[in-house]
Amino acid sequence: MNRWGERFFALIYQEKIVLSLSSILGFILFWHMLTDVLGLFPPLFLPSPEKVFFTIYEKITVPVGEERLFGHVGISVVRILVGVGIALGLAVPLGILMGWYEDLDSVTSPIIEVLRPIPPIAWIPLAILWFGIGLGSKVFIIAIGAFFPALINTYIGVKFVDVLLIKAAKTLGAKDKDILWEVVLPASVPLIVAGIRISIGVGMMCLVAAELVAASSGLGYLIMLGGDDLKPELSIMGMILIGILGLIADRIILALERKVIYWKKE
Amino acid sequence: MDGNQPKDKIVADHVSVEYEKDAKNFLAVDDVSMTMQEGEFVVIVGPSGCGKTTFMNTIAGLVRPIQGKVLMDGQEITGPSAERGVVFQQFALFPWKTVYENIEFGLKYRGIGKEQRAEIVQKYVQMVKLEGFENSYPHELSGGMKQRVAIARVYANRPQVLLMDEPFGALDAQTRTIMQEDLSEMFVSEKRTVLFITHSVEEAIYLGDRVVVMTARPGKIKKNIHISEENLVPNRRQMGFDDVINMKEFLALKAEIWSLIKAEILAKHIF
Repeated sequence: MNRWGERFFALIYQEKIVLSLSSILGFILFWHMLTDVLGLFPPLFLPSPEKVFFTIYEKITVPVGEERLFGHVGISVVRILVGVGIALGLAVPLGILMGWYEDLDSVTSPIIEVLRPIPPIAWIPLAILWFGIGLGSKVFIIAIGAFFPALINTYIGVKFVDVLLIKAAKTLGAKDKDILWEVVLPASVPLIVAGIRISIGVGMMCLVAAELVAASSGLGYLIMLGGDDLKPELSIMGMILIGILGLIADRIILALERKVIYWKKE
Repeated sequence: MDGNQPKDKIVADHVSVEYEKDAKNFLAVDDVSMTMQEGEFVVIVGPSGCGKTTFMNTIAGLVRPIQGKVLMDGQEITGPSAERGVVFQQFALFPWKTVYENIEFGLKYRGIGKEQRAEIVQKYVQMVKLEGFENSYPHELSGGMKQRVAIARVYANRPQVLLMDEPFGALDAQTRTIMQEDLSEMFVSEKRTVLFITHSVEEAIYLGDRVVVMTARPGKIKKNIHISEENLVPNRRQMGFDDVINMKEFLALKAEIWSLIKAEILAKHIF
């Protein structure tokens, strides 16, 4: 691309950012109008954006419960990473094996079909019973939630690889093992990555659910505390941070997607 | 034949093959017997859905016949092998591999070293005129270029038999003509035993030593037509497609083959 082309696209790109930023600013302005200017909602019902932002600023230094704000964020991030990590470590290899070996598929499918529809939240009582109210129970709930989307996507990715590619590989002399590594796995990467993306999303939901029920730290705990202490600004603060975390996670996985699926047409 | 008896490369012996569609079995190939000699270029033509592809897949070893058997050099074919390379209509390139890596694919399983692989790949990249595209991915190529890669991939693997299933069917007319001429040239420079499927009668006569006309499903062999110096021209493989297809002899062959196919289409009402 020539220099003018580059400038042109840089301009468009900037314009997109400007638009995105103004939509967020507009939303905050609207919120400000509803609360501070028009006073339609009392502060105990819906605090103003200034109040929420001041709370965020304040809690960076002033602890809530045992932790300061970033302490709570860090704890939640660790829970997510460990939970989703364990889920992926189990789900992706199992999905590959189930997609590849039909006998294993027949044996495991019935169990999975029964366990899958159970909402992860339903595991919370057992999780607390087995792992207490610390890291273990949260990780367990997150792992349960994140496990199935990654498993199903990997399984489908492996199972439904274009038959033509497998035929081509066979007639070029590849054996079963080569076909799994050189054809089936690369071909299913797009679906596996899509599964990981869903898993992270579900993992975040499970995190909040688990922290709402039994926790003394984490973003879910802050959200719950806001309700208990009649400080809605705390809840909104927690929600905003979860939203930002989710956005960051999604951007990372999108970048990863582009990196590993370089061979797909945009 | 100067005492050089042509060798039977592929023998199909009373082969019947079933085809599964919507959980029902149809007879796709009905008691077909055919022999391909070493170095022969055989083209199968026939109405749509007549079992041409199923028959080719049987020779490839991708499908097993319900009756009869297919032999290569006297050995029964029981599964796919690198000795019978296939060029598919839909290219079947590995989208995550570059042109270079696609062509190299089969060589790795032949135990050929890295340096020698590079030499072979380079040779066939040149043969299919794709110099400069070695590091491109299939999605960056046009249809004609993709099929060139697929042909180079199979040629580089040096199979004894080349099976080509409507390889130019998805290409536009101009690209197709160029590909036909190039394939014709390649066949002269590196003689292989080829089985080629097409819908185009012109393509069949231009490329084939023999044109096999199949009946509508279930496919049987209706007629074998040998294309030779006597009924066409000498050296047609070195001539351009457009120069050959307007010759009087060519038109006569075309009319004969087309009337055979047309009779099948009309008789079975498959239009």
